Amino acid sequence: MPKFILNDQEVEAQPGQTIIQAAQDHGVEIPHYCYHADLPIDGNCRMCLVEVEKMPKLTPACTTVVSEGMVVRSANERVKTAVRGVLEFLLINHPVDCPVCDQAGECRLQDYYMVYGLHTSEIPQSLKVRKSKAVDLGPVMLDQERCVECSRCIRFFENVTKTGELQFFGRGDHVRIGTIGNQPLDNPYSGNVAEICPVGALTDHDFRFKARVWFLHSTDSVCGGCSTGCNMRIDHRDGTVFRLQARRNVEVNRSWLCDEGRYSFHELEKGERLLYPLVKNGNGAPAQATWDAAARSVDVRLKEIGANAILGLASPSATNEALFLFKQYLGEQLGATLLDFRTDSEDRRVTEEEDDVLRHRDKHPNTMGALKLNLASAELGGIDGAIRAAREGRARAGVIIYFKPLVRREGDVDAEAKIAELVRSLEYSVVLASHHADWQQQASVVLPVAAWSEEDGSYTNYQGRVQLAAKATEPGGDILPLWEVFAMLLHVSGAESRWMTPDDVFATMAERVEAFQGIQLEQRRWPGALATA
Amino acid sequence: MKREAKVINVSEQSEKGSSTIKDVLGPLVGMGLTLTRMKDNLTGKVAATISYPEERRTYSDRYRGAHILTAREDGSPRCVACYMCATACPADCIYIEPKEVADPLIEKAPARFEIDMLRCVFCGFCVDACPEEAIIMSRETEISAFTREETIWGIDRLMKREELPEFGLGYRPNQELIDSTLAFTPKKPEPKTMAGRVTMKERATKIPHITFEPETGED
Repeated sequence: MPKFILNDQEVEAQPGQTIIQAAQDHGVEIPHYCYHADLPIDGNCRMCLVEVEKMPKLTPACTTVVSEGMVVRSANERVKTAVRGVLEFLLINHPVDCPVCDQAGECRLQDYYMVYGLHTSEIPQSLKVRKSKAVDLGPVMLDQERCVECSRCIRFFENVTKTGELQFFGRGDHVRIGTIGNQPLDNPYSGNVAEICPVGALTDHDFRFKARVWFLHSTDSVCGGCSTGCNMRIDHRDGTVFRLQARRNVEVNRSWLCDEGRYSFHELEKGERLLYPLVKNGNGAPAQATWDAAARSVDVRLKEIGANAILGLASPSATNEALFLFKQYLGEQLGATLLDFRTDSEDRRVTEEEDDVLRHRDKHPNTMGALKLNLASAELGGIDGAIRAAREGRARAGVIIYFKPLVRREGDVDAEAKIAELVRSLEYSVVLASHHADWQQQASVVLPVAAWSEEDGSYTNYQGRVQLAAKATEPGGDILPLWEVFAMLLHVSGAESRWMTPDDVFATMAERVEAFQGIQLEQRRWPGALATA
Repeated sequence: MKREAKVINVSEQSEKGSSTIKDVLGPLVGMGLTLTRMKDNLTGKVAATISYPEERRTYSDRYRGAHILTAREDGSPRCVACYMCATACPADCIYIEPKEVADPLIEKAPARFEIDMLRCVFCGFCVDACPEEAIIMSRETEISAFTREETIWGIDRLMKREELPEFGLGYRPNQELIDSTLAFTPKKPEPKTMAGRVTMKERATKIPHITFEPETGED
């Protein structure tokens, strides 16, 4: 553990760490453009120059490894003058079109200019080197004039996806990034380059002109697109999700997201939302009901039909807390044994990789959680078994949870069709869903539940890592989070139900379920807590 | 340091300056001024009030009235929907919806730009915040309407207004617009006979305004 002196304070660094990393660990921000924690070090932007005693010249903090007894100064006048000079060089050809630039508000050029620069430009607009603007590269928009040539995007495609779409062209003042012939990027991870671009050269096409970033509120969450469980930040305003940004977690997704996950929130905007509980009345027509009336009617009817004829089909997209209460209600309280969650071969696919960067084949965020809760019954064997049981009359009533998949795959239509068939085959069916679908007309009771980003809860990813996904937006109508629905059913059914928040549910779950034992609530937040096998 | 308090003996002073002539004449002089004013008012020599709306006072060049969106050469709005005005607005009365423009040198323009004139507090922050000289203010004050919907002004109303020349331009960063033009032709307001106090008339046209030297970029 080398110790060194950083701005007159002795601090400890990890062996092999560079100055910029060690400083970051101790809360000292050294300005930088090209350095990125998850990319190879390039050292080209020269913004991170620091003074190291006994070195004749200033040295870049991102390439200099900390050694014992080093004396580093990152904030004295000499360093500030040098950084101001570098910034002035980088801004020489900058078009200063901040009013139309989506990066404004989170742009490193703006930030560092306010700290180090505040100089008047010596270059008139007419003498600036003009390059291509607003080049459509598919998922991202390229503006070559705003680029500071830090090569983060180039290194991303070279080292992370190993495809190398972007390259430098030209030399000196005329150097610019781009693809050959401005071909659009065809890469499932393109969105990342817009996120890691420290300036406005690469901006997100989907987010283009949607909102100014300073209006957005951020909520830490976890992607609901597949079993990887990438850490992300939901940027939202007034109940609308605007974009998803990666949150660094070295154990899961480093700093990356796949494009499918990044734009998955659009899937929730499609289609009509269910807003009120619908219960079929005597004529078989669905009528709006209060939650209390709906819950009571469900509980009474299920008890009439009897435990042996009740079938429960949970969803691997539901949170751990909801699945736990689902099992508490149907399994413990009513005594049903036919519980499952599989509509496809999720249990087998959950650890199957789709590529070697992030994605997994199972497009549900919580298959592992459902498996840890023993929701896959061998007796039923997935949805096909459930349909068979319903047709044979072994199961007469069913409680079915269905969430729209956030990331679409070919099998989804089949899975939904099978659920529709199951609902048709059952005498009495309770469907809990977030979005309206035609097959729900067959259901006896349809209950509206919160979708991803609308409820607090935890997901267990393919590694068995329990991670917290926080609520970002408020659902409309009478929509309730799924855990609350089952807590209510438990209550009307006469069982003890004292949970006020999903955290309370998790605390109970950590006590009662072996796999989650010992997990503290705070541990789930970041970097996640591993459930036992 | 202790200072001696200055003591004024009121009763002594009043006793010293008191005289019967002064006591009687004083009010009469005052009454004389009142009567002179009354005569002037009755004969129409001066008037404290004006006959609005036939007569109007001229407002300052920096008066903050209803907004104007300035135009480019081709008549499209100068605004690039950067949201600076909406960010600065303390009344939260500006609603902007951006759209993409084919010209890569412009890139962005407002698809909708609305100001809720009932919410607006006419502080002029939007004019100060605008980096493009796209929003300025006029001296127009008569913005009442019969429905609430009419008080939300869209791009068209903010850009072109028939009645605006009557009032003239108000608060703006530059006396003569530099980057932008107006989407209407401001006609020179006819010199109006100003009623009211004579002093007011003299001052009305001479209120100084502050202009900012534009940065040309060549220096």
